[in-house]
Amino acid sequence: MVINSNFNISKISQWSYAETSIAPLVVFRIIFGLMMFVGILRFWLKGWIHDFFIQPDHFFHYFGFEWVKPMGEFGMYTIFGLLLISSLSIALGLFYRASSILFFVLFTYVELIDVTNYLNHYYFISLVSFLMCFLPANRSFSLDIWNNHEKILKSIPNWTIGILKFQLGLVYFFSGIAKLNYDWLFDAMPMSIWLQAKMHWPILGSLFTEKWMAYSCSWAACIFDLTVAFFLLSKRYRPIAYFVLVIFHVITGLMFPIGMFPWIMILATLIFFSPDFHEKIIAFIRLIFNLKQATSSGHNSLALAGFKKKFLTGFLLTYVFFQMLFPFRYLLYPGDLFWTEQGYRFSWRVMLIEKAGTAFFYVTDPETGNRGEVNNCDFLTPNQEKMMATQPDLILQYAHIIKEEVESRDLKNPIINAEVYVTLNGSRSKLFIDPEVDLTTLQDNFKPKDWILDN
Amino acid sequence: MKTLKSFTIFLLAVTSFVSCGPDAIEEVEFSDLFQNVADNIIVPRYSNFDNALSDLNLELNNFNNSELSSLESLQQKFIDTYLSWQTVSAFEFGPAGEISVLLRSNINNFPTDESRIESNIQNNDYNLDVASNYSAKGLPALDYILFHASQDELLMELADESRVNYMKDCVSNMKSRVDYVVNAWDAYRNVFVGSEGNDQNSSLSLFFNYFLYDYEQIKRNKFALPAGFATEYGIPISMDTSKVEGLYSATSLELISANLRALEDLYLGVGENGVDGIGIYEMLKEYNAVSTVVEGDLSEAIANQFVICKELVNEFSNDLPYEIINNISQVQETSNELQKMVPMIKNDMRSYFSVTVTLGDSDGD
Repeated sequence: MVINSNFNISKISQWSYAETSIAPLVVFRIIFGLMMFVGILRFWLKGWIHDFFIQPDHFFHYFGFEWVKPMGEFGMYTIFGLLLISSLSIALGLFYRASSILFFVLFTYVELIDVTNYLNHYYFISLVSFLMCFLPANRSFSLDIWNNHEKILKSIPNWTIGILKFQLGLVYFFSGIAKLNYDWLFDAMPMSIWLQAKMHWPILGSLFTEKWMAYSCSWAACIFDLTVAFFLLSKRYRPIAYFVLVIFHVITGLMFPIGMFPWIMILATLIFFSPDFHEKIIAFIRLIFNLKQATSSGHNSLALAGFKKKFLTGFLLTYVFFQMLFPFRYLLYPGDLFWTEQGYRFSWRVMLIEKAGTAFFYVTDPETGNRGEVNNCDFLTPNQEKMMATQPDLILQYAHIIKEEVESRDLKNPIINAEVYVTLNGSRSKLFIDPEVDLTTLQDNFKPKDWILDN
Repeated sequence: MKTLKSFTIFLLAVTSFVSCGPDAIEEVEFSDLFQNVADNIIVPRYSNFDNALSDLNLELNNFNNSELSSLESLQQKFIDTYLSWQTVSAFEFGPAGEISVLLRSNINNFPTDESRIESNIQNNDYNLDVASNYSAKGLPALDYILFHASQDELLMELADESRVNYMKDCVSNMKSRVDYVVNAWDAYRNVFVGSEGNDQNSSLSLFFNYFLYDYEQIKRNKFALPAGFATEYGIPISMDTSKVEGLYSATSLELISANLRALEDLYLGVGENGVDGIGIYEMLKEYNAVSTVVEGDLSEAIANQFVICKELVNEFSNDLPYEIINNISQVQETSNELQKMVPMIKNDMRSYFSVTVTLGDSDGD
């Protein structure tokens, strides 16, 4: 068990390299590949490739990734085509290594194009597909070993499955930690707003306006997130924990527009179940498709020694510690995290706050003193405008987008101010950033943004 | 741990399974709003506008260029039609938003292109359906032809039959579109009322977004742009009074006022028959929405802001071009109040109605 009461590195290391059945990893590979295929196809069919990557005139960049640009219509559809093919190849275990690397690189590229599309779920997919590049998930029940039986592995080291359980557990645990705040626990916000919006649901709707209901849901969600991973690790509580998990995801899936995420989590967390369980799944698939059991030479092992083992251990430890520390970087910034959003992303803050903003940008011609309000839809899609209006780094980027635009139209050195009103969890709309500051004089960096006004 | 687990399960069980008996309180639902809006507001307003265009057409057919009274009556019918347009401009979805219909671009594209109108009339060879003629037709074109000179001069000009014919063509170009919309609403009405959910193409989304859009058109195109408070592609533009709506007939503030009143009635749910039915106001009440912009109820806050804006617009004693030049501070004050409404709609109302702006999935940031 990863979490042991007497925490001991050497014990964990010993456990990590001990062998276990490959079956859970194989089933995970199939599920992951198929879910990605469905997810990418759904994205395509909804026309989002066009809406997100072709239609916008401007894109919001991640700090340090300004060089990532969309590829135009043909390029983007090609990339999504390759994503479809590689996800299916992952499921089939065909050219697995190349497919998983291709999928990780392309998926991450697509996510890096525009910050306004950021979702924790996409970050999660990037991380899992990154891990999958290193895992021997094609070494059993795959097309790669169809005619290459000596490559078959029956057992693999525990870390290969453990790292995926860690990644999954982390998502729940940290989204639980994120809920440990005053608004969520003691004000039932924004749960009250969300439930209120569902007051016309049959049966439950009438309860959704009750304050106690909002508190119950807030607390239940928080406790669920904090504990579910541990219960899934315990053999005794696993079935009941999984049952609760399914109910939780189905409810959130019905309540919120979170797309594929609930279904991905429901299926992905099957990895917590025993090797027996997964071997039965594989046997069942064999039965349906009438596939023969390949016989292996049986003595293959991935056991590593010496430098390679040390390197792998170092890599795994680095990954794990980075994942556990990175969400806490917000502590380095002053002010209310939910207000300033400095260190907010990549930290599993899922369905946590209700924030809305209205941003009025003003351009002043320094020569004539002429000042006018920018028509945001001249430059941004409605979705980009909405996302920008509550996130300071994006507000700053937008000011620079405007500057570039007006300078290309021969207005040099414009002064750009923004009057932004933001409401957080139903609180009074307040001025978000200093409306006097000329945003063109600022550059984005990791330092605290002192032009964000106090909440 | 065990207690925690049981607690979790208990709460989730409560969340999932507990139910109450039928609710005694009568609930107001979005379908009630859509029904009232469709039957008592949208459909009758379109048919009023359609009738106004018919009247205008009749007036044009009966026009006698030797009689001042005939011109005056034509001018009056035109203004009536323009005021009537203000009541339907917020409904550019469904039939009105179809690519071959696009009422706003085809009917109220201002400022109008004087020289293009003149050359069209002179060459007597034009296709009003091409996009390059958007700025040479519709109500702004009639505004120009019917008001750009003194009445005596106009009477002389209008002796030229091609000018009158051009107006007739403009009217029939509008009328065919509006006829289509009126007929199409027969079938679309049930689609509109029966729509559920809050995705991009739901009635909730369409209704909300075009309500907001129409309001922002008043604030920006009809007000800020001529007053010099706006930008074009980021470039601040100087005041230009020729950009007002209803420039030649000097009706800009009257039209803005009518537009605001139309949105206010829509907000309150007041039908064309004067009956106060279910509007956005009632929905906000139902959701106990609280304003984040001013103290108190959101439903009241928006209603009050409509009253404030209307009062300020009606306070001007002259036409907007005159006020922009001679009374910019009051114009600025009015602009500020028009602006104040935006976060009430864009932040608050949108939150309470959970209108999706996001095209894709969300995880709630």
